[in-house]
Amino acid sequence: MAERVAIVATGQTRHTAKRLDVNLRELITEAVTRALEDADLRIQDIDAVFLGNMEPFEGFMFPELWSVEGWGGYGKPAIKFNTGGTVGTTTTMAAYYYLAAGLYETVLAIGFEKQSEGHTQAAITTVGDPIWERTMMAGAVGNFAVMASTYVHESGVTPEQAAKVAVKARRNACNNEYAHLQMPNITVEEVMQSQMLAHPIRKLDMCPQSDGAVAMVLASEAKAKKLASRPAWIKAVATAHEQQYMGDSPKRLAIMRSQVTASQKVYKAAGIANPRKDLDVAEIYEVATYAEMAMYENLGFCERGQGGVLIDQGVTSMEGELPVNPSGGVLSANPIGATAMIRVAEAALQVMGKAGKRQVPNVHTALATGYGGNAWTDALILSSR
Amino acid sequence: MAAESWAVHQKIEIPFQYTAGPAVTRFLEGLKDKLIVASVCSKCGRRSVPPLSFCGRCWRPIAEFISVSGEGTLLSFTRRAGGDVLYGMIQLEGTDSSLAHYVTGEVGRLRIGCKVAAVWRAGRTGSILDIEGFREVGN
Amino acid sequence: MVSVQKVEAVKEALRVPFRMKLEFDYAMGAHAERFFHALRDHARILGVKCPACKRVYVPPRPVCGICFVETRDWGEVSDEGTLVGCTVVDLPFIDPMTGERRPVPYGFAIIRLDGADTAMYHFLEETDPKRMYVGQRVKAVFREQRTGSLQDILHFRAVQG
Repeated sequence: MAERVAIVATGQTRHTAKRLDVNLRELITEAVTRALEDADLRIQDIDAVFLGNMEPFEGFMFPELWSVEGWGGYGKPAIKFNTGGTVGTTTTMAAYYYLAAGLYETVLAIGFEKQSEGHTQAAITTVGDPIWERTMMAGAVGNFAVMASTYVHESGVTPEQAAKVAVKARRNACNNEYAHLQMPNITVEEVMQSQMLAHPIRKLDMCPQSDGAVAMVLASEAKAKKLASRPAWIKAVATAHEQQYMGDSPKRLAIMRSQVTASQKVYKAAGIANPRKDLDVAEIYEVATYAEMAMYENLGFCERGQGGVLIDQGVTSMEGELPVNPSGGVLSANPIGATAMIRVAEAALQVMGKAGKRQVPNVHTALATGYGGNAWTDALILSSR
Repeated sequence: MAAESWAVHQKIEIPFQYTAGPAVTRFLEGLKDKLIVASVCSKCGRRSVPPLSFCGRCWRPIAEFISVSGEGTLLSFTRRAGGDVLYGMIQLEGTDSSLAHYVTGEVGRLRIGCKVAAVWRAGRTGSILDIEGFREVGN
Repeated sequence: MVSVQKVEAVKEALRVPFRMKLEFDYAMGAHAERFFHALRDHARILGVKCPACKRVYVPPRPVCGICFVETRDWGEVSDEGTLVGCTVVDLPFIDPMTGERRPVPYGFAIIRLDGADTAMYHFLEETDPKRMYVGQRVKAVFREQRTGSLQDILHFRAVQG
């Protein structure tokens, strides 16, 4: 039987477009220092460090080697992960596996990215197959635009509904001191008039590119009870993969097979029959406005084709039945190697009752997701019990 | 089939801008004035070149920066295959770390442990190449 | 004797430029070679069928990702098809194949050719998003000089459905 595992502490940097005052290593130190302070731990109390980012964004091979002084890895076991957009959830889940197996008592998990140093869309384009894809591909923006066109065709969602997602995200972000884009006065019209990146995706429909880092301390049951008065217990984790090429599974955003599979697995494992009712909050890796609505459908928050209706009805707003991304989500901060772990950290803060101004009342059960490689999905359920 | 197996030749070219951070900025600025800046940890006393802003071993920020000698000891070196470019790891006097840089001198005369000294370039811009390399100054 | 002298903080942190240039030779694999031979020599587009689920893959995949079975049965598919997804890229992002900004706007789509069950990435001749839509009928425009690459198809052009 696996050990119970909990998240007991989190730390984040203020995510922003350009952190020119620190290098990547120093950025990591900020997040780690905050997580250790949150747990009232010293670096010596950490058994192992798991970390990850998206290496092509900074062009550093082995960033764990280069940055080790920044996260206290000297003399400790450490493992670096690189699974694209999901790296933050992969790293969290790996820490979970080790702790659940009883191999460690405390693990420090870190996600980081400094996108100001490179060219994100260029790096993402190298994800594409050199023979079949790269020449046409236009980074994440182009892929999400093509997928969004299919989703619009399938579901009938409108640019207005997409803009409402953007407004919700950037207004929620005003309650999050770590968010990159805080836009209290953003309007639907402003989103719909923002610069076109790739039809139908406009600048304010898309996540920003951010510099930022996040760290969490995860602990075994006995340790967690000592370190936190209300730990965020990891009830279930799942990953599901998808075929590599977008064209091999057409309608990839409208029908996200990996997201359906991963979410259904964690719902089943955590005893969640109706996610919209049984979840108290969700922090999802939404990337673009159209993607958030598609994800509502794929995560079972509504029926197929109802993603736009959900945003119209305010179901996923802070006051709604199931608040989605009180943090402002990926649309408000996207330091990619950190982004999926930020989802987990924000979900953990909600469960721990430590989310400050963005706290949803009485959170007992939270969903966090990661999405990577334009294909695969991680899902985690966190619980107060 | 094998004789005709196709491969696609492709280039990846991406520009980067690396943020130096406060410690390395001190180092790069110092080079303009022929100064080599080291960091000093207030706890373990470790002197590092290139300098660090944070001691990962003692887990504390570093606030002390000093300039150190441009002379040091060659810890290791190698020659790039097919060329005459030599590079190695140099431990500068009074520091506890080592710096990677070019080394000049006759291969036959270079020894691990030999003394080397920085050769400064004219028209320095705040780059690691403000030091042309390290020249052997005695065994 | 080591000269030790305190160094004061500098006002603005520096940024250090670096241009990464790497070159690769990607092996195509036998399935892609067969596809590109037909494309180069005959301007024909080939697909391959999964013996288990019968899906026809264009581009050809050596293994069906769903059945995990090797694909072997080849056949020609049409050079006409339907848009599954489409966009016009307006963002002048850095093209990793050149290190420079890619010229925009350009039409980019995933296209399912008649006779295929999967879809391929390609360019569209059209660059006005108002004149393209999911479900639109398109036809491949082949280059005169073909070298054995996906760019032997110049782009896809809208045709009357």
